[in-house]
Amino acid sequence: MKSKREKPFIAGVTTIAVLSSLLLLGMVFFMFRESLPIWSDIGVFQFLTGTTWRPVAAEPIMGIAAMLVSTLWVALGALVIAAPIGFGCAIFMAEFAPRSLAAVIRPVLNMLTGIPSVVYGFLGAAVLVKYFEATFDLASGESLFAASLVLAIMILPFIIANSEAALRAVAPQIRYAGLSLGVSRQYYTVHILVPMARKGMIGALVLGLGRAMGETMAVLMLAGNTLLLPISWFSKGEPLSALIALEIGSATPGTAHYQALFAAGLVLVVLVITVNLMMNTILAGLKR
Amino acid sequence: MRMKKMLPLLLIAVLAMALLAGCGGGQEGTSEQSTSIKVGGSSTLSPIIAKCADDFTEEFKTWDKVDAGLPAEPIVIFVSTGGSGFGLKSAVDGTFDFGMVSKDLNDEEKAQFAEGVIVQLGSDVLDVAVNPQNPIVNVKPDLTTEELRAIFAGEIKTWKELDSSLPDRPIVVAVRDLGGGASEVFDKAVMHGTPISPEALQIPSMGALAGKVMDNAETIGYVSSGLVNQNPDKIIPLSVDGIAPTIENIISGDYKISRPLLLVSPSQPDAKEQAFLDYLQSEKGLTVVEDMGYVPVAK
Repeated sequence: MKSKREKPFIAGVTTIAVLSSLLLLGMVFFMFRESLPIWSDIGVFQFLTGTTWRPVAAEPIMGIAAMLVSTLWVALGALVIAAPIGFGCAIFMAEFAPRSLAAVIRPVLNMLTGIPSVVYGFLGAAVLVKYFEATFDLASGESLFAASLVLAIMILPFIIANSEAALRAVAPQIRYAGLSLGVSRQYYTVHILVPMARKGMIGALVLGLGRAMGETMAVLMLAGNTLLLPISWFSKGEPLSALIALEIGSATPGTAHYQALFAAGLVLVVLVITVNLMMNTILAGLKR
Repeated sequence: MRMKKMLPLLLIAVLAMALLAGCGGGQEGTSEQSTSIKVGGSSTLSPIIAKCADDFTEEFKTWDKVDAGLPAEPIVIFVSTGGSGFGLKSAVDGTFDFGMVSKDLNDEEKAQFAEGVIVQLGSDVLDVAVNPQNPIVNVKPDLTTEELRAIFAGEIKTWKELDSSLPDRPIVVAVRDLGGGASEVFDKAVMHGTPISPEALQIPSMGALAGKVMDNAETIGYVSSGLVNQNPDKIIPLSVDGIAPTIENIISGDYKISRPLLLVSPSQPDAKEQAFLDYLQSEKGLTVVEDMGYVPVAK
């Protein structure tokens, strides 16, 4: 029964929910408006596929292909590293871990999510970069790979938590049915449990991908920030988030440089939103 | 019971109020304009001005202690950071009383302050610096501007190409973000419009750039003279065209890779603003400039 006192409450929370959603729309609209001259003067295709970034030259050339490739390379690379570890860990936690061990591991993993990204970046710069320099005799140790490696650690807790939830969501009847047929736990896990939970596990990966693409501090300190189009995982590169973080402070508002950074931001936001929509589609498919 | 149900409502009201307060924030500033001094702009200058503002407020507390003719109001000085371009723009449109700018002004920019003031507090000097383990320190401690340009443009790629007695190892070029103040200084003094090599590492802060030079024997980069002076044996500055970045050469203007640290205002400062400006240009203010690693203007 809805009492009279509930009505203002419902109206209140509805307003807040609508306002929060409008915030996202408003942000995208604002970024679009700020970057409009770039899209109309340079053109969407030219801006996205141009490989030269000289925003402050006498005749500015602005193309973000190198940054776009760096972003995708770093994020997908992180996913390649994190997926097997994350899935393995999730399967262990959901299926094999003794209750007492899981009770220790889970809070530790959750705590990993709370570590500020600048700390990861700083540790990576202090440890990984020097290690790569010494081990592989590189002139300098920054690379997309180093950034991917640190990003992988950052997105691992998300992948593990969400995959584990998906594995636990598999109905217990299936488990009993499977085990009563006399299959081993290994067979049950690989051939029954994981296929049943696969959509949720893919959803966990996609969520990790979205986070990896937007992450700024760690990649800023590890990717090397060169303007060359990366040709391998071990090249240096400058992901979109690093580009914006590096240059927005010195770009004069109103200049083409400033607008181009907004355009780059819009591209990044659209990428992340696309990834999130993908995840929603996967999750919707899971429920059906 | 009733109270319990009211709680979420109250919470929502508070949240909504916070939202609205956030929207209205822009207008509150204007009413305070007369009682506080607002300074904003260059991230190089802001720690200096912030330190001076702290010292100034600490020493005098109220304006009448600074000068008996001023009212007995507490001293309030706001310092915010946002880059030299932001400082210029905000000084002109009146958001700040003073803009902090750490670059040479062109004639067009100077014209905006023809009625007001442009005060130089010091210079930020960029030393071309290498790691002490790099043999160039003994072999070739002096580079020409043309050699520097070729190195930073990526035309000279290995140390051996620079001098045949140096090792056949790649030169790691480290720069600050292109378009930032330091890049602009280096472009004006050395590159003259030649694009920086796309292989150059862009380092997010001057401290990190100095760290890179300290850690990596193959790196060459431009480092703020203050940071070089703070790490005497870990970063070695090179001479350019035979001129070492010494204090004498910097003050005389012979060493070219430097930028001024400026405060600008489009109108004449009022009595309080003038008092703060005088403090900045006094012995105390210039000592802060020096302590932060920059070269103060001649006292």
